[in-house]
Amino acid sequence: MVSSIGRYLKHAKDAVATIFEGLSVTMSHFVRKPYTIQYPDRTAVRVQDTLPLRYRGILEVDLEICTGCLACERACPIDCIVIDAPKDKATRAMLLSRFDIDIAKCMYCGLCSEVCPTGSIHHTTEFEGADYSLESMIRRFVKDPVLAYKAKKGEETDPLIAPVLDRGMEFLAEWAEPVDMKKYKKEQEEAAP
Amino acid sequence: MSLAGYEFEVQRDDGLATEEMTLNMGPQHPSTHGVLRFVVKADGEIMRTALPDIGYLHRSIEKISEKVGYHGFMPYTDRVDYVSAMQCNQGWAMVCERAAGIEVPRRGEFCRIIACELGRIASHLLSVGTMVMDIGGMTPFTHAIREREKVNNLLEDLCGARLTFNYMRIGGVAWDLPPGYAEQVTAFLDRFEPFIAEYNDLISYNKIYVERLANVAAVSKEEAINYNLVGPNLRGCGFQYDVRRDEPYSIYPELDFDVPVGTGEVGTLGDCFDRYMVRIKELKESCKIVRQCLDMIPDGPVLARVAKKLKPPVGDAHVRVEASRGDMGWYVVSDGSEFPYRTKIRTGSFSAMSIVDKLSRGIMIADLIALIASLDVVAPEVDR
Repeated sequence: MVSSIGRYLKHAKDAVATIFEGLSVTMSHFVRKPYTIQYPDRTAVRVQDTLPLRYRGILEVDLEICTGCLACERACPIDCIVIDAPKDKATRAMLLSRFDIDIAKCMYCGLCSEVCPTGSIHHTTEFEGADYSLESMIRRFVKDPVLAYKAKKGEETDPLIAPVLDRGMEFLAEWAEPVDMKKYKKEQEEAAP
Repeated sequence: MSLAGYEFEVQRDDGLATEEMTLNMGPQHPSTHGVLRFVVKADGEIMRTALPDIGYLHRSIEKISEKVGYHGFMPYTDRVDYVSAMQCNQGWAMVCERAAGIEVPRRGEFCRIIACELGRIASHLLSVGTMVMDIGGMTPFTHAIREREKVNNLLEDLCGARLTFNYMRIGGVAWDLPPGYAEQVTAFLDRFEPFIAEYNDLISYNKIYVERLANVAAVSKEEAINYNLVGPNLRGCGFQYDVRRDEPYSIYPELDFDVPVGTGEVGTLGDCFDRYMVRIKELKESCKIVRQCLDMIPDGPVLARVAKKLKPPVGDAHVRVEASRGDMGWYVVSDGSEFPYRTKIRTGSFSAMSIVDKLSRGIMIADLIALIASLDVVAPEVDR
């Protein structure tokens, strides 16, 4: 009887003591800097501007530098990219007549921007994609059919296209460059001794 | 009443017949961490049985792999276990590399392990945080989530996503570490390691919390092996088994880390508290591994060139990775085409579901919440 009362009192004492131990941690937060931010309206900078360049937000296409190679359409595992690029029979040039991305379907995996040779299709830091209908979530990038971009030898000279291409290359530079392992190992062996 | 072959009859002294109560816990229940249903047969507050009813989150992920090819399946592996997606990425990348005989650059392996261990920290933080919340303590959850946000920020800098990373590729990783990443991670770890002690002060050894977990649903070593428990659930029973150590892959043999096991410090060996404590201890070990990797990481490429349409030779391959929820098995059969013939994923949460029925007999309904939380079941991983 006495021992059970003693045990009960000891439990009560332990419970109170450990609660205050925990409360001391809670109390210490009164003098620490808060970690929360008041999204979306009371942040010092727009959240989008604080995100890294590799952030995978809503997809965007720079049509000026799109070569119409269809690599992104093929790489997409859920077929959310649809491109129509017929060849003009008279001039034999490639026309881009349709470039749609269904951002409601898109899972932001980045496989399409990884394979793009010019960095035309890339992820932005934009992530607020709420909309009223599914139809409006299909981003149609082609208004009027445009000619596909043709890579030139050497520097890009067109003053309108050059900055866009530079930006595309910036996106591409984020991705890791694949190496041929056999070649790389051979080089390493030659360099070692 | 009978339920899936279980017959129960309650005998009363006065001869009146009573019926057991059949309760549904879930599919939408905050403590099941996803869509998971338990059919509970209870006699008052005491449970007779709790049968898990799974399949609500089945998305045919294995079948999808047969349609999208080897490279295209990588983002889907994020969804197998979205709380610790990195290890799932690694499992798929490794099984394809083994099937096709691809070598990964050494720096790529280090990038993988750094990302995986950061992912494990994030996953265990969610686990220990929600465990307290399920039992009724609100505050510690916010503390754990705050630290998890910092890990997520680090992973966002690394791969641009916070949850479904899609970081790894067959042959390496898709992004190299960004400039100044080592300093960033070290700064985080310096602040994170004291946090573990602070979290223990806050809740782990709180008497009320300990009383809720100690001696509840204890699993013996033999039982755990018979029911195929893996990962922290198995180690909680005092059985020291870790795929990273016992069946090493990647660069784990070069790293120095301990495998924490349950000690039964407040009650029976293998009870809910032991499983909880193993995860707290693993946080420290993951910090240790990340630090070593940052010290040892060599220069060089991170991604090997792999054919766009990967066609592994006819045959099969199997790898095991230690995911946050234990031993995760990946098996792929190739018929020489660009699509896998068959993929099989074996996950820790699935086998953990089988022991719930056994452990739930004779405990309180409120303890079922503690049991599920301590098994760290994530519903998408159960169903895939």
